[in-house]
Amino acid sequence: MSRHTYGVSGRKYVVIYRAVLMENLQYAANIAMGFFGYFVFIFIFIKLWDYIYQTPEELIAGYTKEQMIWYVMMTEMIWFGSNTGAVARQVAADIRGGNIAYLMNKPYHYTLYILAKYTGEWSIRLPMYMLLAVAIGAAMVGAIPGFRLATVPVMILCLILGITINAVFKMCISLLSFWIEDATPFQWLYDKLILVVGTVFPIEIFPRTLQALFKLTPIYTVCYGPAKLVVDFSGEKCIEILSVQFLYLAVGCVLMFLIYRKGVRKLYVNGG
Amino acid sequence: MEQAVLFCENVQKSESDRIQALRLHESKYHEGGGIAMYVIKAEDLSKTFRVRVKEKGMRGSIRAILHPQVKEVKAVDNVTFAVEEGEMLAFIGPNGAGKSTTIKMLTGILYPDGGSVNVLGLDPIKSRKQLAHRIGTVFGQKEQLWTHLTPYDNFRFFGAIYDFSDKETEERIEELAERFELEAFINTPVRNLSLGQRIRCEIVASLIHNPSVLFLDEPTIGLDPVVKENIRELIKQMNRDYHTTIFLTSHDVGDIEKLCKRIIIVNAGQIVLDDSMEHLKRHYMKQKTQQAKDGNQPDTSGADISLEDIIMEIYQAEGRRIE
Repeated sequence: MSRHTYGVSGRKYVVIYRAVLMENLQYAANIAMGFFGYFVFIFIFIKLWDYIYQTPEELIAGYTKEQMIWYVMMTEMIWFGSNTGAVARQVAADIRGGNIAYLMNKPYHYTLYILAKYTGEWSIRLPMYMLLAVAIGAAMVGAIPGFRLATVPVMILCLILGITINAVFKMCISLLSFWIEDATPFQWLYDKLILVVGTVFPIEIFPRTLQALFKLTPIYTVCYGPAKLVVDFSGEKCIEILSVQFLYLAVGCVLMFLIYRKGVRKLYVNGG
Repeated sequence: MEQAVLFCENVQKSESDRIQALRLHESKYHEGGGIAMYVIKAEDLSKTFRVRVKEKGMRGSIRAILHPQVKEVKAVDNVTFAVEEGEMLAFIGPNGAGKSTTIKMLTGILYPDGGSVNVLGLDPIKSRKQLAHRIGTVFGQKEQLWTHLTPYDNFRFFGAIYDFSDKETEERIEELAERFELEAFINTPVRNLSLGQRIRCEIVASLIHNPSVLFLDEPTIGLDPVVKENIRELIKQMNRDYHTTIFLTSHDVGDIEKLCKRIIIVNAGQIVLDDSMEHLKRHYMKQKTQQAKDGNQPDTSGADISLEDIIMEIYQAEGRRIE
């Protein structure tokens, strides 16, 4: 009964995804406990922007007050909804603790296994946070100006791409554990870059030189892109963001496979 | 103790003879394309780890940052052996002897520094994924099952991982569940199973894809005697029914004695003995009788020979040699 797809078949990754989904469904109540943190965060920003915007018509960096608050709600939704342990903590722990050895001798690619697991994790979390964001937005902010339901599928595509790019880059950092004792400081720096710079303000709010710099970082594809399309959709912007996302994903994947291939030769698994 | 060293050296001679014989056998049959006898072949296999060294105390910690020192540890040192199809082999040694490192090189997890490995005609490093389809692994101290899922869901999962259709997986689960008596707990989440039930399921999960070679790394660790016996019976059964080659590492002499006909003992990364269980005991008895005749040892001929005693003697003899 031997098979010869040798890890290239996508079905096994769908099965991994499904298994994680089944496992994580049992934690739905635990996930909901994180809602409080999200609500507090958003509540503070609603009050902050209420205070900063003097009149309802005022624009800051091209954003109305509603757009600005919805932007923060979307980026924070991405952050809270996709912040799981698989790509950062698990990969680093697998390498340091030697558990990777037991995952490598299965007919799948370890990095794709982790990505499938991660996707299974956020597939539960993100929709829950999405519902919460829409509820808070509808109750406390109001409708997004110019929002069209027809653009939702492309927004979802952009959102999935953004989360996957984030996972790929986080995995690249975690894979450094093959060489260094602890990749956590690098992970911390990356997270803070995304959280502080990427989720709180849209890129347009920063000076022009910094804007150009941020566009070269994953912030543009992970947070800014998906949130921008939600609050201020345009065909031109959509094509630009999706193109950059595909480029980022391709580069990130090449980097991830390369680091993994090099790193696995360095694997040091001691003991029985 | 000197007698033990002598015994070990004598056995080692037979071990090197055996390797020579294996090589001759291989060149005669295998390369001729006639009979592919060996499922595992390792030749001059070596692996060296670079381990950081730190002197004691705060001064040592600071010095380690400024002038990091690295020590090379030969985990596996020019190991050569071959395993025949359907064989049940015990690969044993004291802690840190290089057993697990060898298994990890045989399964493609670790890259050897020297020598060559061939498992089922494949190079484990170049063809790790292909090999994964044809081997199974059970590491007694590591879980491969998803604890929140039932054994049934786990088996379905592994079936899909190995590219089986749902129908094929179902048939295989049915067969294995019946053969290995899993029906009573196949739908209970793994986290609620006893250790013995879990290990049974671990072994069955590694058999879903009908592997030709099964690597068992301490499969009975932490189990009570009754459950150990059940697991041994299960291993024997799969060797008998499916002709699965068993590569077993264990510190439990019962596992070795009751399951394996051949034993390889490694110490400090080297093979110190490779012999059949029967020959090992016979040789040991002969040695003891000779020693009794020479007046070096009391006469123990006729007494029961414990494999544990033999292994202990070899470990101690090797320990002395290393010291």
